[in-house]
Amino acid sequence: MSSSAPQLEQTIDKVLDRTAEQIISSVASAADEARKSLDDAVPLLEQEYDKIISDGRKEADKISRQIVGSADLDVRNRQLLALEDAVDRVFEQALERVAAADRNGEDYAALIRALLAESTATLGSKDVVVSTSAQDMDAVRAVVEPEGSDYPAAEVSPEPLACLGGIRIRSRDGAMTFDNTLDARIERLKPLIRKGIASKFGAGN
Amino acid sequence: MQQRGGGVQYSKIAEIKGPLVIVDDVENAAFDELVEVETRDGERRLGKVLEVGNGKAIVQVFEGTTGLSVSGTNAKFVGKVMEMPVSREVLGRVFDGLGRPKDGLPDPIADRFIDINGEPMNPEQREYPKDFIQTGVSVIDGMITLVRGQKLPIFSGSGMSHNLLAAQIARQAAVIGTEDEFAVVFAAIGVQYSEAEYFKRSLEESGALKRSVLFLNLADDPAIERIITPRVALTVAEYLAFDLGMHVLVILTDMTNYAEALREISAAREEVPGRKGYPGYLYTDLSTIYERAGKLTGKKGSVTQVPILSMPSDDITHPIPDLTGYITEGQIVLGRDLFRQGIYPPVNILMSLSRLMKDGIGEGSTRADHGEISNQNYDAYSRAQEVRALAGIVGKAGLTEIDLKYMGVGDTFEKEFLSQSVDENRNIDETLAVLWRVVSQLPRNELTKVKDKYMDQYYQGTTR
Repeated sequence: MSSSAPQLEQTIDKVLDRTAEQIISSVASAADEARKSLDDAVPLLEQEYDKIISDGRKEADKISRQIVGSADLDVRNRQLLALEDAVDRVFEQALERVAAADRNGEDYAALIRALLAESTATLGSKDVVVSTSAQDMDAVRAVVEPEGSDYPAAEVSPEPLACLGGIRIRSRDGAMTFDNTLDARIERLKPLIRKGIASKFGAGN
Repeated sequence: MQQRGGGVQYSKIAEIKGPLVIVDDVENAAFDELVEVETRDGERRLGKVLEVGNGKAIVQVFEGTTGLSVSGTNAKFVGKVMEMPVSREVLGRVFDGLGRPKDGLPDPIADRFIDINGEPMNPEQREYPKDFIQTGVSVIDGMITLVRGQKLPIFSGSGMSHNLLAAQIARQAAVIGTEDEFAVVFAAIGVQYSEAEYFKRSLEESGALKRSVLFLNLADDPAIERIITPRVALTVAEYLAFDLGMHVLVILTDMTNYAEALREISAAREEVPGRKGYPGYLYTDLSTIYERAGKLTGKKGSVTQVPILSMPSDDITHPIPDLTGYITEGQIVLGRDLFRQGIYPPVNILMSLSRLMKDGIGEGSTRADHGEISNQNYDAYSRAQEVRALAGIVGKAGLTEIDLKYMGVGDTFEKEFLSQSVDENRNIDETLAVLWRVVSQLPRNELTKVKDKYMDQYYQGTTR
């Protein structure tokens, strides 16, 4: 019995040693695996890190463009409104001056003659009814009604037009009308006049 | 511009028929002349002369004829064709379908007034388009590359994500490798209010509005106005390109609505209908729009067009996509299957093509391997589709190992390359990297369209 005890101890020691070796080997291999996983994870981490940084930069760039873009546009739009306001004021003052222009001079009579000639040429007939504003009525009658005038078939309508000046003619049957009032002429040329005024303020191309 | 007889107002209206007003006893009216139609209440609507003769003029009223009566309506023949006031100030502005401000700001101070029908480009002066435009959308940049001066339509279907794609292209598009200015002219033709708002907000929020001009013709705006919208948009684009030297991308959506408006007028004029009721001159009419894209010798700028059209019943043989395809230089086709799978943008690359791509890519413009890697992906995706069809019959178990790899390539292609977020802007290097990643799933010997030197540089897979 006494010789079997050391044998048993030896066997137990051997088993313990082997187990210890196995555990150490497993721990070492686990450590290796962990190190390998960690090593493998580093590039992925770096890649992910770079992606986050790159996405962040893109987002920052996008937001910056958005802020700068809207600010630029806002400034430009305010500038446009200010310019339009200035153009409108100039326009109004100019219209006031036109309305207050002297109707009695030879210059104005010449203007009425020119407007009448242009209008009848456009309509292709002198057999027309001419309408004008109350202010211009006398000036128009002075061109149309005298004997020997260029427009013997024309007639001046007694009903005044609500306009700044100039004339509007219509054919006898009322089918054709040509508006050559100062208001209509200004309206036709408004974009060009606006451009002219804006250029005085240093705006426009 | 004032012609003899210009400015005369006629009050004898013979007939009002659909969008047309027939004016009697008209002298000296000219074809295409602008007409102001005044209603009994003093409301003014714009129109143009379609036909003159025998003392009559047929006027097409852009804002519709609702509420007009034969008595009490006057038609004033303005004596000039329709013109668009243009200047640099149009950038950042929003206009309606006829080119009138819609953003609460005044009319732009005009540098020039340009006939909206444009001047035909002298074919002798046309320069071959060959410079790359980066849209930031991988599938377009990588495989259906857009070049400056090209006309490349997007064929879509009802309800698909073409408007999202259009807005994304408008936000992201850029010319690379040059300091030249870039602008986007966006013409929405017959779109819903929500879509128009989306386009506007999308450009505002991305900061791209300041380099853009928007023309919005809404679905409830008169259909006839749609005839004018692409023309005013292209007039502005031509000015920005050829007067100010900018590279301009014009997006026209939806050209189907334009063609519908054309059909409406044609029917009202009792013209002999062509295919599906569209007028026989649909091809000629579309070409007057599409042919306004290009580059001119001696001019710095360019006009590139991306018209978008929704194909009724997804039918690519429908007259609109069919005739468009004859005029344009390729097409981007959106696929219903991909759309149903939730893929955005759902571009069916096997049906898509950019005819000018080969001249806009490669060394010096994108990257030397671009053409080859693109072809390799076409080839691999095409094979993947065949394998998918085969798997539908014999099942996955009946496929070979290489077949399974191709199937994987198809999936990766759709998930990683095709799919892209609506606010994701990929540069060309990122796009090419994804193309390489997709085909690197295949063994090296399967990549027969790419030179070895590029394989050595970019291939990420294994030999077997």
